[in-house]
Amino acid sequence: MSTKGTRIPDWLTVPFAGITPAPSQEKGQDLFPTGNWRAIRPVYRDKMPPCNNACGTNEKIQGYLDLVKRGKYLDAYALIKEDMPFPSVTGRVCYHPCEQACNRGQYDEAISIRAVERFLGDLGQTLARDVVKAGPPNGKKVAVVGSGPAGHSAAYQLARLGYQVTILEKSPKAGGLNRGGIPDWVLPQHVLDREIERLVQLGVTIKTNVEVGKDVTWDELKKNYDACVLAVGLTEPNSVRAEGENKDGVIYGLPFLRDIGMGTSKVELGPRVAIIGGGNTAIDCAREALRQGAVEVAMITVEAHPQEMPCVPEDLHDMLEEGVELMHGRAMTAVLGNGKVEALQLFPARFSGAINASPIIVNREVPAERFAVDNVIIAVGQHASLGWLPAEFKTERGAIKVDQFGRIGNTNFFAAGDVVQLGSGQPLMVVNAVGDGKRVAFNLDKMLRGEPLQPRKVPVDVIVDLNRMNMTYFPHFPRIKQAMLTPASRRRTQQEVILGYSEEQASDEASRCFSCGTCNACDNCYLVCPEPCIVRSARSNGLYKILVDYCKGCRVCIEECPTGCLEGVPELDFDTGVVRMDTAFAITPGLHGRQAQELENFANRPAKQI
Amino acid sequence: MSYTELTVWTRGIIMDKEGRDIVNSIAASARLEGKFSQAMENYVDNPDRTNAPTRKYCRVSESVLENELTYENEKPNIVVLVEQTMVKGWDYMRGMPPGGTLVINTQYSPEYMIRFVPGPERLAQLVCVDAARLADHKWLYYRLGELGLDRLSTEGAAERSKTIAPDIAAPLIAAIVKTTGIVKRETIEPMIGYKKAFQLALQELHVLPINPVAA
Repeated sequence: MSTKGTRIPDWLTVPFAGITPAPSQEKGQDLFPTGNWRAIRPVYRDKMPPCNNACGTNEKIQGYLDLVKRGKYLDAYALIKEDMPFPSVTGRVCYHPCEQACNRGQYDEAISIRAVERFLGDLGQTLARDVVKAGPPNGKKVAVVGSGPAGHSAAYQLARLGYQVTILEKSPKAGGLNRGGIPDWVLPQHVLDREIERLVQLGVTIKTNVEVGKDVTWDELKKNYDACVLAVGLTEPNSVRAEGENKDGVIYGLPFLRDIGMGTSKVELGPRVAIIGGGNTAIDCAREALRQGAVEVAMITVEAHPQEMPCVPEDLHDMLEEGVELMHGRAMTAVLGNGKVEALQLFPARFSGAINASPIIVNREVPAERFAVDNVIIAVGQHASLGWLPAEFKTERGAIKVDQFGRIGNTNFFAAGDVVQLGSGQPLMVVNAVGDGKRVAFNLDKMLRGEPLQPRKVPVDVIVDLNRMNMTYFPHFPRIKQAMLTPASRRRTQQEVILGYSEEQASDEASRCFSCGTCNACDNCYLVCPEPCIVRSARSNGLYKILVDYCKGCRVCIEECPTGCLEGVPELDFDTGVVRMDTAFAITPGLHGRQAQELENFANRPAKQI
Repeated sequence: MSYTELTVWTRGIIMDKEGRDIVNSIAASARLEGKFSQAMENYVDNPDRTNAPTRKYCRVSESVLENELTYENEKPNIVVLVEQTMVKGWDYMRGMPPGGTLVINTQYSPEYMIRFVPGPERLAQLVCVDAARLADHKWLYYRLGELGLDRLSTEGAAERSKTIAPDIAAPLIAAIVKTTGIVKRETIEPMIGYKKAFQLALQELHVLPINPVAA
């Protein structure tokens, strides 16, 4: 290129005429700061991956999958523990909304995120000491009522913040729904025991056999603690209001599972068992019934099709494999028998509205069906037992009334978990309760420190469009299935049904992650930049730097970014990056400038010099 | 005797013809009006490189041009930026005497653009015209972000070169003529290829008066 007529600063002159430093050499980019050729500036802007957004507790899923991919398992475990106190539990029981949201699902198959989480959780269980430490004590005392998912999560986060936390649990064993609502063959007791042990190691005191309203009153909580989190859950089963529901042999789903979980069950099932309900608890009850000795198990639902059942599809699939029969479009109107269940009276039925919670319409014009059974397990949802709570803090549906920060009125009491979420439209699942407990713990901390509270939901830029990423970098690759016991071998034992990943499987599965919208330090921008405009100080997220004085805005890095985190932003949106060029291609008082000056002085010159 | 210098800053290849059309048509109209004028292109700036900044010059005078052998405009009264991001990159205000005019092709407002202008106190007015939109220009308006990837812009240039101001130059010429009066509208309008965009621009100018006293 010609530099004729332009001024090269002294400090840029080189020993040999005609040689200028290359852009990759020292000061080479200063000679031609081509940054002002640029209409679009590449900017690293991380977006919210759909998995993180869908997760009830907003785990940094993309982050830990990336760390697993690189073999940094301990870092991945530490990252997951920021939001999730017990990954080994949710790695088994979670209904994985992250996998439903996974962008890979639009491409081939969603990533098996839950299996990787379980791998990390199991790794954490084997550690002699947990990676998480309690915060420096701040001298404040907080009571958490209930040791289920929400209570566990709130206590865990508060302990990390330095609070002296006491959990009050009414059952003889801590764990709440994790222990009493989830069967052993999904979540072995020793896994949960270990997680509770971790919580105690953080300095949390757990008092079992203490029931609020009976052993401790509302006023005592107020007096003895600086603040309190109510995470009492939904403990009372709903009834179907059928005739003869009080007969022997009628069992409710949640107490049935809870007694087995706590080791206090005295139920002996007959050979024929019917389950009323089509949700997750109903499925667990049906499968547990087989393990408790039932021979024939039938599930009676109002829903007309399996797809309409409010449950996790793969659990339904596993249940059907174990031999449970489905009877759709029926409602139980009466329990028949002489003091003990002998049969059920069924009528065709359907929901009056679009959702499963709408009132049921029973068609009594056709003759009733008589269905002979020895036991019936009713699992149609739960409600809270809040007799001890002042009436002003209750909603019409019997849940606790909280503001957008999870706080109860103007008190120092917060509430979290199912007891708050009932009727809110949010799924009543473990991970949602954990997220609720986490957010409430942070708000409680803010309240005690006198800072403004944060609302429960924050809108974010979620990347769900595959066009925003570069799919040419992602070959199709099938999901790695978790090993399972065969239906025949598992239906009579308490052995865990789904098995964990090996290290290799976890690493392979994590490698399938697109890292949607988030820089995972793949180095692609660094490699494709035709000029040396992208520098990296370390191979890590956010550590690339674009030399804006030299970048011409050719867009190659933006187009080639696999994850879509690089964005082209109009240059004029930035106040910065103004480089007034003074070298090549720029106006300088060069050759022609000097000529102009000479011409201006032309008339003044003596005649002989012309 | 009035003497006016006009400098157009444009980008190599992709907007080269637009800049050339502006200076040529204004110089030609001035001659039709009986003035002395001159227009030329820059050969120092490497206009054959995509996106490289390139200048075009025009001088209009009511007397014989004394500096017609001088190449660059030393004291431009009017500066035109054919592409908006140039506002950040160069000292296009160099040598401008007080009471000058800056015309920018941009969708932003003059109130926003003024922050990027070095030495704005010399301006009598800052004129912004969304020429790319008015001329319905596919690259400059709809796909501005892909400018850097555009390597084919000379395609069709031979056909387009038969017309003066077939696209974004037309609104820019309208903006110059209306705000500075360097030539009369009646003289220049018959030359313009894209008359509709020219007329639209006369209505849709955004003018920010800055230091009109100096004019």
